[in-house]
This record gives sequence, structure tokens and C-alpha cells, in this order.
Amino acid sequence: MSDIKDEKLEAMLRTRRFESASPDLVERIILKAQSIPQNQTVSLWQWLRQLFAESHLAKPAYVIAGILILGFVIGFSAPAVTTTDDTDTAQTQGFLYADEGLL
Amino acid sequence: MAAANWPDKDDHELLTLIQDGSHPAFAELVRRHTERFYRLAYRYVQNKETAEDIVQDAFLKLWENPGTWEAGRNNKFTTWFYRIVANLCLDWQKKKRPVELPGEANTLADDQEPVDAAMIRIQEQRLLEREIGDLPERQRMALNLCFDQGLSNQEAAEVMGVNLKALQSLLMRAKTTLKDRLKAYL
Repeated sequence: MSDIKDEKLEAMLRTRRFESASPDLVERIILKAQSIPQNQTVSLWQWLRQLFAESHLAKPAYVIAGILILGFVIGFSAPAVTTTDDTDTAQTQGFLYADEGLL
Repeated sequence: MAAANWPDKDDHELLTLIQDGSHPAFAELVRRHTERFYRLAYRYVQNKETAEDIVQDAFLKLWENPGTWEAGRNNKFTTWFYRIVANLCLDWQKKKRPVELPGEANTLADDQEPVDAAMIRIQEQRLLEREIGDLPERQRMALNLCFDQGLSNQEAAEVMGVNLKALQSLLMRAKTTLKDRLKAYL
């Protein structure tokens, strides 16, 4: 009995009437979209790609720029060699003190 | 690109093209899916003009902000868009309650049906719509997706963001309520 009720209810649910959409709904949506500009959300990667795409540089230019940047990075990040400097400073100071002795 | 190629493209390809600003791709997507989303909206708002406005609004929002679709995050366009249309319908309902039920003019009788049978069927349909309208929102959505849109339980569960068991439970509760309220017609 319950199965019959289930089936009848499901049949009613599947055959619910409804009003069809206007035949021009699709065209209306398409036409309206043509007058609306898109809001483009650009990710950082896309922005970088666009930036480089607009600069139109030849590939070797990027290689040279890349090597230069790498050189600067290595140059600035290398630890300063202070031993030689210290020796030079000590020698200079010793020379100056020697002069003072004469005076 | 030749117009004949558009129907061959799947939804994901069309959406990628829409993100690049392609109007023909958008037109193809609208042609392909308007009917099903209109049907869902109509079930919620029970009014042709409002349902059309909601579907138009949903598609235009997609066109305006194509970045809202993220291929990596969303599996299927229709699953994602059902959610958008359903949310717009719920927003509308919150603002405009109560839903206008179809009157005699909207519940058309079959010409070849005897008058008595037609009257009973019309009455059945009106009562069914009223009782469905009184169901809790999630039960109503589960019914609409499974019985009206013809989605599988798994697909409907994905649209609603619940697991399969939860969806089955929603359907069962909805059917139990309807069977009880419509017992005179079953």
C-alpha cells in the first residue's frame, strides 16, 4: 500500500506542470551581455605575463637581465672579506704611529 | 573560429573562453543551459517573469565576473551554477515572500481530458505545489533537484553540499510529509 502511495507521489512530482520560458529568453540574455563589460580579475602571475608580453623584448634581453640580477644578488649576499682589510688597516696605523714617534 | 565548433566544446572550454571575453562562447553556454536553470528557478518562485529575471541575472553575473568560476575548485559547471541560481531564488524569496501559487490560468488542463478528471488533476497540482511550498527549504530543494531536474541523488547532494545519506534523509522526510498531507489524493 505504501509502495503504491510512493509511486503515485513520485509520479505526481515528476509530472508537475510549469510555464515554459519565453522563446526569446536566451537571445535576451545574450544581447544584454553584449552591452556589459567584463570585470577581469587578474592574478599576480597573469599580470606578470601581461607585463612581459607588452614589453616585446627579445629573449636574450631577458637572459642578460636575469644574469645581471643574479650577479647583484650573489654580490650583495656574499660575506664581506674583512681579514685583508684588517691587516691593511693595522699596517697603516703602525706606520702613522711610527711617524708620531719621530715627532 | 567557426560557429559550428561551439556545440562541440564542453562547458569547461566555453568557460575558459568566456574568461577571455568570448561572446560566442557565452552565447553557446546560455543556449545550452537556460532551460534547465529556468525550470529550477520557476519551481522556487512559481512565476515565469521572476524566474526568467533570476536566470538572466545569474548568467549576466557570470559574464560580468567570469573569474568567479574556478575550474580547479568546481567539478562541474551545472553543479556550481545550480547553487548560484538556487541562492538567487532564496534571496528573492526572502525579499518577496509569499510565493504566488499558479492560478487556474497557469494550471492548464489537457483538451482531451474529461472535465471532472481535469478539475481533480488541477486541484491535485495546486495542492501539491502548496504543500511543496510549505516544506522546509532544503527538503524542497532536494525534491526539485531529484524529481524535477532529474539529477541523481549523488549529483543533487553535490549541488546542496551535503553527503548522500543526508540528501536521502531530506528526500525521505519530504516524501513522508507530502504523503501525509496529500493522502486524500494518493
